[in-house]
Amino acid sequence: MATLNDTITALERLPALPATSMQLISMLAGGGRDADLREVEKIVSHDEAVAASVLRRANSAAFGMRGRVAGLSDAVRRLGTRELCRIALETQTTGLLANAGRSYGLRRGSLSQSALGGAIAADSLVQTHGAGKSVDREIAFVAALLRDIGKLAIDMVAGPDALEKISAAADTRPFLEYEREAFGADHATLGAMLCERWGLPEPIVHAVRGHHAPPSNPVEPLTDIVHTADCVARWAGLGVGCDGLMYPFDAGARDRLGTTRADLEALVADILAATAPEEGNGLHSTGSPSGASLRNTA
Amino acid sequence: MSRIPSTPIKTSLVRPAEGDKVVVGVADLAVARDASKSIITYALGSCIGVTLYDPIAKVGGMLHFMLPESSVSIEKAAINPAMFGDVGLPILFNKVLEAGAKRERLIVCAAGGAEVLADDGHFRIGNRNRTVLRKIFWKLNLLLASDDTGGQHSRTMTIRLSDGQIAIRSQGKESQLWPH
Repeated sequence: MATLNDTITALERLPALPATSMQLISMLAGGGRDADLREVEKIVSHDEAVAASVLRRANSAAFGMRGRVAGLSDAVRRLGTRELCRIALETQTTGLLANAGRSYGLRRGSLSQSALGGAIAADSLVQTHGAGKSVDREIAFVAALLRDIGKLAIDMVAGPDALEKISAAADTRPFLEYEREAFGADHATLGAMLCERWGLPEPIVHAVRGHHAPPSNPVEPLTDIVHTADCVARWAGLGVGCDGLMYPFDAGARDRLGTTRADLEALVADILAATAPEEGNGLHSTGSPSGASLRNTA
Repeated sequence: MSRIPSTPIKTSLVRPAEGDKVVVGVADLAVARDASKSIITYALGSCIGVTLYDPIAKVGGMLHFMLPESSVSIEKAAINPAMFGDVGLPILFNKVLEAGAKRERLIVCAAGGAEVLADDGHFRIGNRNRTVLRKIFWKLNLLLASDDTGGQHSRTMTIRLSDGQIAIRSQGKESQLWPH
């Protein structure tokens, strides 16, 4: 068990979101979707991992049929501002989360995959259920990507098996309540504190804070979207640790967005395919199972 | 079973394996006839893990399906039927028979199908996954030997192919689902 002070001290020791992401988020939040491509190229070229992802995406099947890109500038022109920003944010956030979630019993890469799945779901929900709600697609994508960032702080203060022991004794209360009892704050609040420290725009801070309990007065459409995206990711089996499904699904958010069972199930199917780990990315151990009689059917 | 898509199930060049364990991912299935192996699937939430095992032929299979009905996305079902219970379960059944199992010897177990909190009956994906499981097994004339489903917690399911023993790890504890 840790005190709130211990937990906040842990939070302060966490690395900041890389400068590239911060610059891109500020640009997007300032309505910079039409920003000069050269400016974006300058930002992404400062980070090798991001530049590599940009080149890989530009050469991937989705953008194929037009020959291989010659270099970063070519890739930047081919992908456009929106895609570039997403790749950079995805790469850096998932990098930050790659080893996160250990205290929840999550395997390496699980939290990154869940972050990305939620971000894709949020983006889709803005387009299908965001009419008239003034929710920005890019901001929804970033907020959903960062929604579980507070789990990094829990990882630092939770002792081995602490959360497993909590889940073993848990009844049907939301898991956030157990986190507050054990660490003085829950991962949603800690995530919001972290986003605040990083100087991220207020709507993102609010959405991260409320992603398991969107407020009803006043309502926050962005938080409703991120909350729904989080549930969709969980239904797709992403990021399910020893906290299981011990999070409420908010009927208010459902009614406000007007989501139906068919909408959300279709989204569950979509995001799983979109977040499947690429082969050879180290998320799984490699080497096919030996044994001549083994029948691999899937 | 006319609804089963004719397209083959997704194939991956590298089947994740951890030593003697074959790992079944989300919306995935594996069938094996190798007594030295186990098949494992991690963190079942609302998804359901289903095992079929023939103790004489030592053939076992596992499906980790995510959603009950393929009607929600026929396109996705064509690419990966293991996503859906209604089309994934008959495929698992056919694959274990192809691998040498006999229908009358099959031991059928299931785990998962948990529910998020406060879902007022609108979505209930875990519950509907459990319903489709019973419906398809009824059609296939198979009975569940043992199951551990519902609640809010996640479960990791492992079947040992040497003897069909099934272990469930959940909430920090390990229990045996089969034999009872």
